[in-house]
Amino acid sequence: MNDKLIPLEYVNSLMFEMEKAFWDERGKGARFRLTTVGKEYFKSKCLPLIQSPELDHILQVIGEVLKSEGIVGKATYSRDDRMLHIRIEGCVHRKVEDRMVALGIEPFTCMPANLIVLAIEEKLDRPVELAEIKLEYGVCKLLLVLFDQRPSLV
Amino acid sequence: MSETFTLAEATMKAIQDRRSIREFTPEPVSDHELDLILEAARQAPSGENAQPWRFIIVKDEALRKKMGAVAGGGSGRRFTAEFVTKKMQERFANLQDEAKKKAAFEKLTSGQVSAFMADAPVNIVVCGKKDVWDMPYDTSAAIENMLLMITALGLGACWVIAPCIDIRDEERIKALLGIPEEFKAVSVISVGHQTRLHRPRPRLPIKELVFTEAWGAPYYMEQA
Repeated sequence: MNDKLIPLEYVNSLMFEMEKAFWDERGKGARFRLTTVGKEYFKSKCLPLIQSPELDHILQVIGEVLKSEGIVGKATYSRDDRMLHIRIEGCVHRKVEDRMVALGIEPFTCMPANLIVLAIEEKLDRPVELAEIKLEYGVCKLLLVLFDQRPSLV
Repeated sequence: MSETFTLAEATMKAIQDRRSIREFTPEPVSDHELDLILEAARQAPSGENAQPWRFIIVKDEALRKKMGAVAGGGSGRRFTAEFVTKKMQERFANLQDEAKKKAAFEKLTSGQVSAFMADAPVNIVVCGKKDVWDMPYDTSAAIENMLLMITALGLGACWVIAPCIDIRDEERIKALLGIPEEFKAVSVISVGHQTRLHRPRPRLPIKELVFTEAWGAPYYMEQA
């Protein structure tokens, strides 16, 4: 097996084309079909490290994984009631979103955000919605909304 | 005295009379009516005649409530996100009546806009086989056929995508109803007897919708 690392440019060009294809097919609805992307990575890399169902701990673990794996340079967060503001610096996938914006398409998916949503839903059973992705110079500002626990379907 | 329509007139009347109905009386939908609705779906066109649609009839109250919870939860999340980012306020900017605007925001952000399906006498869950070329379009044709038959029968219905649009909710619906991996949960059609008549929603002028020979050249000319 060839275990040579593949270039980031190659990965990001594929991600861009896949995202664009989703957009072309579903328009604004595309965002809702990508909400679990990163699930396998989350289960193998993040979930085993989450030892407590405390939101601060969950966010800290996801931030550390993202940083130690070289996916982002820095991830910080702040809370305002049920609003969760995440600030991501130096994301390896930033060029994907820059290309979407250059086409006039508002960013609609974010792998680091998905990991955070998956973690909160898994450990706290609280639904989360990624409301906004704002791109600034070198920084992505994410707004997530936290909801109360889901009704049981059992 | 009953009115008489040509086939074209009757077809157009069913199309124009259709509404999205979210409030139903407790009166049940009869088996005969359901048979006609499902036969209308079965007769829909499909790519390669694949007929990828399958339907689950849900009447059980406990099951309906669970589906309503998934649908309402999904809509509530999405519309709350739209609200906190002020996009909803932009969308409703032309609505001057503040009380109506507030009620609309409440209906959307609470998820009630979709959770109503818990109170519909029948929910038809539309599933689509993935291993065909045109499943979203095929199932949509079947759904529209059902909606027109429902209207022709004097019943009301709403095409609800809320429990299926986000993959997280779709997975819950699939697990709840035992839908196999090779099928997608496409939509739910909530059916019943409507509590009141509804006015038609506005439609864009047809001259804005139709071009001739290429994009942009109006097919319908301005009236002299």
